[in-house]
Amino acid sequence: MIHFENVSKRFPGGHYGVSNITLNIESGALAFITGHSGAGKSTLLRLIALLERPTRGQLLIDGRNIGRLPEKEIPAHRRKIGLIFQDHRLLNDRSVFDNVALPLHVRGFPVREVGKRVRASLDKVGLLKKEKVLPITLSSGEQQRVGIARAIVSRPPILLADEPTGNLDPELSREIMDLFLAFNQLGITTLIASHDLDLIKKLGRPVINLQQGELT
Amino acid sequence: MRVTLSARISAWIDQHQRSAYSSYMEMRRRPLAAMMTLLVIGITLALPASLLSLLKISQTLTGDHQQNASISLFLKNGIVDQKALRVAADLEQQPQIDHVELLTSADAMEEFRSHSGFGDALDALDDNPLPNVLLIHLTPDNSSIDIRKLAAELKEESVTDSIEYDQGWIERMQAITQAIRRAVQALGFGLGLAVMLIIGNTIRLEIMNRREEIEVTRLVGGSDDFIRRPFLYIGLIYGLFGALIAWLLVSILLMLVSGPLGRLAELYDTAISLSAFSLHALLLLIPIGISFGLAGAWLAVNRHLSSINPE
Ligand SMILES: Nc1ncnc2c1ncn2[C@@H]1O[C@H](COP(=O)(O)OP(=O)(O)OP(=O)(O)O)[C@@H](O)[C@H]1O
Ligand SMILES: [Mg+2]
Repeated sequence: MIHFENVSKRFPGGHYGVSNITLNIESGALAFITGHSGAGKSTLLRLIALLERPTRGQLLIDGRNIGRLPEKEIPAHRRKIGLIFQDHRLLNDRSVFDNVALPLHVRGFPVREVGKRVRASLDKVGLLKKEKVLPITLSSGEQQRVGIARAIVSRPPILLADEPTGNLDPELSREIMDLFLAFNQLGITTLIASHDLDLIKKLGRPVINLQQGELT
Repeated sequence: MRVTLSARISAWIDQHQRSAYSSYMEMRRRPLAAMMTLLVIGITLALPASLLSLLKISQTLTGDHQQNASISLFLKNGIVDQKALRVAADLEQQPQIDHVELLTSADAMEEFRSHSGFGDALDALDDNPLPNVLLIHLTPDNSSIDIRKLAAELKEESVTDSIEYDQGWIERMQAITQAIRRAVQALGFGLGLAVMLIIGNTIRLEIMNRREEIEVTRLVGGSDDFIRRPFLYIGLIYGLFGALIAWLLVSILLMLVSGPLGRLAELYDTAISLSAFSLHALLLLIPIGISFGLAGAWLAVNRHLSSINPE
């Protein structure tokens, strides 16, 4: 599903985000990415979503080399991916419902379908009652769950989460991770960057460890 | 996944409705700013539009006057009525001439007597001092050059004593309106550009204000078309409502001048066709406003949208 072949990302200025990564993630897998700050976890995920372009090597997704994907095909590529960020990246001037609906709107879903799917998605993260409120009025854990609802609402084949539990206490972190495990059960290929080694150990899933941009 | 054509069309309509509605709501969030912008656009559009209207009115006046253009041909003394009528009949054969009226010296004297109050003084005269006059009414489609040529020909006729016509005034008026029209067109073009820039700048600010939203939309896979659409709708809405405001302003102006102009029209014996709140003017202004609005938005969007990419 996701295949890195000697992939490097060299930033302008010469610094490497990741270097010479070779890695294969099977369809339907769930893996964690760990490493110190600056090890290249975010860079790895951003390459998959084409928020950065690889400077060397081949990055195949669904058998397609996306390294040279034309600009105008990037939106279609991103629609295969649900993205989750530590800082949620929710729009604070619109309701929870509208935030979660955005991925459906960009795909041109009809209004009635949007309503059904958004509510189903909010229901899965346990926030059905909050659809009308603004995200700022929610707790950090709730905001993260809105972000997750937005990422899964269009049922993408790939889910990428960059430190989704970064600001949460252990109990909330566990809840969020359980959500990911549940979605993975449905066959979504999932990559989660995290510092939370204790929690990762408990879950017993494959771990990709990075050190200064390289696999260890 | 198979999607029927009708489902796709209705989804497309949904999307556009949502874009248009969200653009409208976005404007309503800053109603004062939006109103100011609309007013500026309206006034800018109204300026050339009202100048053109006034120009049209002055053309109606001079145009109608030219239609009624006539030449007074004063016959030499001693051309008696019979001869005068024959000359008149001959002249009526000419294509430029609609009809010829004979105003005999006796007619003229009678008219003068009844209008001037000098009746008694005139009785003291032995002879009627007034000449026979042919009032030559021209056909409406004569150019000013035609009229001048005809007048020159008539002047050479053996029966002609002298000739009078108001050609000079007509020509001057036509030249002036022509010049003003050019100036108004140039002004209109410049102000059209101004409207485009105003709307372009408004859209630019809007794009900056919605930076976050654009970035997040890119993150969830929104295409450039999708991101562009609400901004184009904002341009369209500004153009549309700007045109409406311009139309109201022009209409109010026309209402204000309609009184004095009506009296002027009476003097010229013509009707002024331009009315305030005319549907015709509205149908003309709206597409113009929308085109400028869309063009301005398009320019701003293409210039600024590509610079916003998610972190
Ligand atoms: N846009 C950029 N320009 C230059 N260098 C960058 C850029 N983005 C990341 N880097 C560098 O690449 C390296 C990897 O960064 P990255 O953000 O992937 O690390 P990370 O593992 O996610 O760290 P953290 O745990 O702090 O989030 C770092 O040394 C960072 O300074
Ligand atoms: Mg990071």
